[in-house]
Parts: sequence; structure tokens; C-alpha cells
Amino acid sequence: MNAIEIRNLSKSFRGMYALDGLNMTVPVGAIYGFIGENGSGKSTTEKLICGHLVADQGEIKLFGRDFTDPGIRVRVGALIENAGCFPGSSVYQNLMMQAINLNLENPDAEIRRVLKIVRMEDSASIKFKSCSLGMKQRIGIAMALLGEPALLILDEPINGLDTDGMRIMREILIDITKNYGCTVLISSHILGELEKIATHYGIIRQGKMIMEISASDMDKRSRVFVDLKTKDLKKTKSLLELKYKNVKEEKDYLRVYDVEEVDLIVKYLLENNDLIKEIKKNKIGLEEYYIELMSKKEDK
Amino acid sequence: MELQFKNPSFFERLKSMLGVDFYRLFHTPLFYIFLSIAAIIPAMILGTTGMEEGVAPMYTNTWHIIAGETPTYVVNSIAEYANMNMVFIFGGIMVSIFIGHDYKSGYVKQLFTTHPKKQDYMMSKSITCAFAMACMCLTYTLGAVAAGLLTGTSFEVNVGSLIIAIVSKMIMSLGWASLYTFLNVIFRKYFGISIVSSFFFGTGILIIGAAALLGESSILNIFLYGSSVYACLTSNFDTLIVCSVMSIGWAIIYNVLGTALLSKSDVY
Repeated sequence: MNAIEIRNLSKSFRGMYALDGLNMTVPVGAIYGFIGENGSGKSTTEKLICGHLVADQGEIKLFGRDFTDPGIRVRVGALIENAGCFPGSSVYQNLMMQAINLNLENPDAEIRRVLKIVRMEDSASIKFKSCSLGMKQRIGIAMALLGEPALLILDEPINGLDTDGMRIMREILIDITKNYGCTVLISSHILGELEKIATHYGIIRQGKMIMEISASDMDKRSRVFVDLKTKDLKKTKSLLELKYKNVKEEKDYLRVYDVEEVDLIVKYLLENNDLIKEIKKNKIGLEEYYIELMSKKEDK
Repeated sequence: MELQFKNPSFFERLKSMLGVDFYRLFHTPLFYIFLSIAAIIPAMILGTTGMEEGVAPMYTNTWHIIAGETPTYVVNSIAEYANMNMVFIFGGIMVSIFIGHDYKSGYVKQLFTTHPKKQDYMMSKSITCAFAMACMCLTYTLGAVAAGLLTGTSFEVNVGSLIIAIVSKMIMSLGWASLYTFLNVIFRKYFGISIVSSFFFGTGILIIGAAALLGESSILNIFLYGSSVYACLTSNFDTLIVCSVMSIGWAIIYNVLGTALLSKSDVY
């Protein structure tokens, strides 16, 4: 069973298509990184899943049931665009309203639990309007976490968080998926951060899903490369090009793609009297993969 | 871990939505400010018009600021117009602010994420705001009594009819609250228009205009303003029936219309 299954979903605003026949599959228990440029349709998709927008056509299923099923929707936690809190009310009061909305049996204990998770136990009495951007974001996450959601939809949740906040967020998401079986749909522009937690990716462009891939498959596909520095890059480049197909000169180093054994390069250059100052093996990350994919699509 | 989903019943859904609205009502100043306004307005009108020397008081009986002696749809003086029906004008503004904050803060996203059935939202807002307006009717009565005692205005009245008139107007709160909820759903993206439209309908100006053309006709009782005027100091059990039927009837109509509108359009 999939947590989210979307088929042929379309949504237009004043004749302009924000989503154009989108298909999406999010397995249960996944942390699904939803990636795309600004205006590609990420937030529109999330709003459609949450019922904030009405689709022109298409089908949305959550846990095998129609997305309008109240039993499913009460188990959906969302943070889309902002926390959605009353500025004049305290953090506790805002959370209490959401706890009542979710019909939780022990709202006070549940509020204390989520405040502890987002490390805001001491801020319950502060008015929401007095909170910093990072605090507001954390409160939004706390609201979404209330009542142990089966599906968490987070739109750019890392925005406004400091380094520690990002780490806390990572820990929370990994914990709730592993220990509570929660599925997370998360969109973010900070791909490096997303890469650390996502188990699946969906890449959207101009309202269409252009690729869905698991993190392990992405890892298999990622090209291996070696970055190295020598005294004379031009000379080294000509030497390497005799043996390796893909050698690129960057600003102050050379990048050699599809190299499995680093020591072979070292040996080869030493044999040719070229001394290596620095060498490092790496894999193409999500960010580079995404940029490469987008540029390929643009070329087409 | 196997995920289990329990389908909440209609009453469980409504209970949770009402819980949120009543919590907000009691924990924010808006409700208490409007309760105070409702108490101050009759006290101010009765006080200022009854204490001016050499000028005949606008009201010779304290209860006239609650309701007219008879149902008067054609308004000839301020005294004939200014009574407890004014609560429904202030109430409209209160509903606009209450619902407007739902959208302005973005909290409505949480409500619609967990409540896919839009009637939950319409019913909850209508009931909560009706309760708030009914409470305003009570503080309005208290304000009127206090001013009557202060100015020494007569309290002579048929107590039964007075109680029926007050209760009938309180019942009318449901119809009015549903109208305002519907208007605020229509103009949810335009806070200013929501307030102006609520004020416009709350004044009953359309019915007063119709009455000027039709004369004192009981057919006007089918409208919210008409049945609100019908609740007067000569009310009887029929008044209670008419007001209940009209209030509930209009509440159902506005709730159905609002639900349909929310279901077919983008909510946020």
C-alpha cells in the first residue's frame, strides 16, 4: 500500500496550468523529498492533498482510500507556507486548539510531548507574534506532529532554521518514520539537507513529475569522480585524457569522472613524473544530479 | 507498525470543530469586547436620550430599547429602529473578525486539512457565532436595565411577552450567524468587503426598503430582519414558533450554500 498515490492530477489558475497530469507514488514509511524549481507545482500538489485547493481533474488516494476520507485526513499533519497560528494567542493556546481539532484524549500531555520534541518546552506561554522566524517554524512542526500523524506534509520546513534547528528536524523526521511508521512528504530547496534524510525523491518540473526514484537507486546511478590538484593542471589534463574519457578542468582542480580506483590515477601520474598535491574521491550529490537533470531537460 | 484509521462520526467531527471555535471564543478578547459593546450601546442610548433636560426622552419605557411595542417594519424614527436588533449589526462585525482571523492567520489550513467535510466548518462557525450573539443579547438586556434604573425610565411590561421577545431574538441569532458565516465564506479573501457586507445586511435596510413599498406586511417575517422585528413586546407563543422556523430555515439554507461553495472552490 502507498501512503500517497496521485494519478493524472491537474490544476489551473486562470487558465495557466500549475499541475499538468501529475503522477506521484509515495510508499508508506518513506521520507519523500519533493524537489522542483519555484513555481513548478510543489506547493500546489501539497495543497491539493490537504484539500485546500480543488483539482481540475485527477485522483488522489491516501493509504488506499479517497483523500476526502475523514478517517485518513484526521491523521494528516501539515506545515504549508506558514504555521497557521493566531498571532495574539500563546504557543500553548495555538497547540491546544489543534489538539482539540484532532480530538486528542490527553491534549495537555500531547502538547508537552511535541514541545519537547521541537525543544520549546519553556516557550509555551510566549505569544506567537513574539516568536522568532525559527521558533514559528518549529511551532508549525509541533502542530503538524500533534496526534502522531500517519502522513506529514512539510513545505519548506527547514527555511528559517539554524544549523541546530536543521539537525533537530532531521532527528525528528527519522524518529517518526522509524518508530511511528509515519510517512513524510517534504519539499525543500536545501538539497544537501534533504539528501541526508530522504528515502525517495520526486522531481517535478512545470507541473509534471519528471522522475521518481528511491535514494538507493539514486546512489547507484550517481557517478563517481575524483578531484585532484597538481602543479601544472594543463599538463596533467593532457596526460589523463590519454587514459580517461571524461576529464574536466575546473577553476583550480581537475575532475575525472567514472574512476573506481584512486590509486590507479596516482600510480599513472607518478609514472609520468606528475606530482599530485591533493586528491579526493567523491560521488555526485543530489544537488549536482538535480542540476544535471534539469539542464538535460532544458536542452531537450 | 500497522497503521489504523478510525472514521470519526459526524458528531465527533462537529464536536472537535466546535471545541476549537469555543476555545478560541473564550480565550481571545474579541468575544468580551463585543459583549461589552452590546451592554454599553443600550445604556448609552437610553442614558443620553433620557437625561437631557427640556427634551422629551426618546424612550418612555425601558423595554422599548429591547423591542418595539408592535412589529414595526416601516421605520419612522430612530427609536423605532434602535432596539435589540442592533446586536445583529455588531454581531455581523464580530463574525467577520472571528472568521476573518481564521483566514488571515492561516489557521483555516489546519481546519480544512483535518476536516474534509466542509459542512463541519459552516455548522461550527454558525453555532459558535450564534452563541456569541445570543450572549450579546443578554448583555444588551443587562445594559438596558442598568440604564433604565439610572434614568428612572418606566419598566412597565407584559413579562411573558418580554421574555418571549428576548428568547425569540436570541433564537434569531442562529439565522443571522449563518448568514454572516456564508457572507464571510464568499468574501473570505477580502476582509473589508466581509465586514461591509455583514454590516449592510445586518442593518436590515433591504427589508426596511421593501416595507416602505409594501407597507406593514407580515410576509416580511420570512426574512431574518422581518422575523427579528416580529419579536416585540406583544409577542406570544406564535412569535417563538415563527422566529424558530425562520432562524433554523435560513440557517439550513446558508449552511447548504456555504458548504457547496467551499466544496467547489479553493479554500485557501
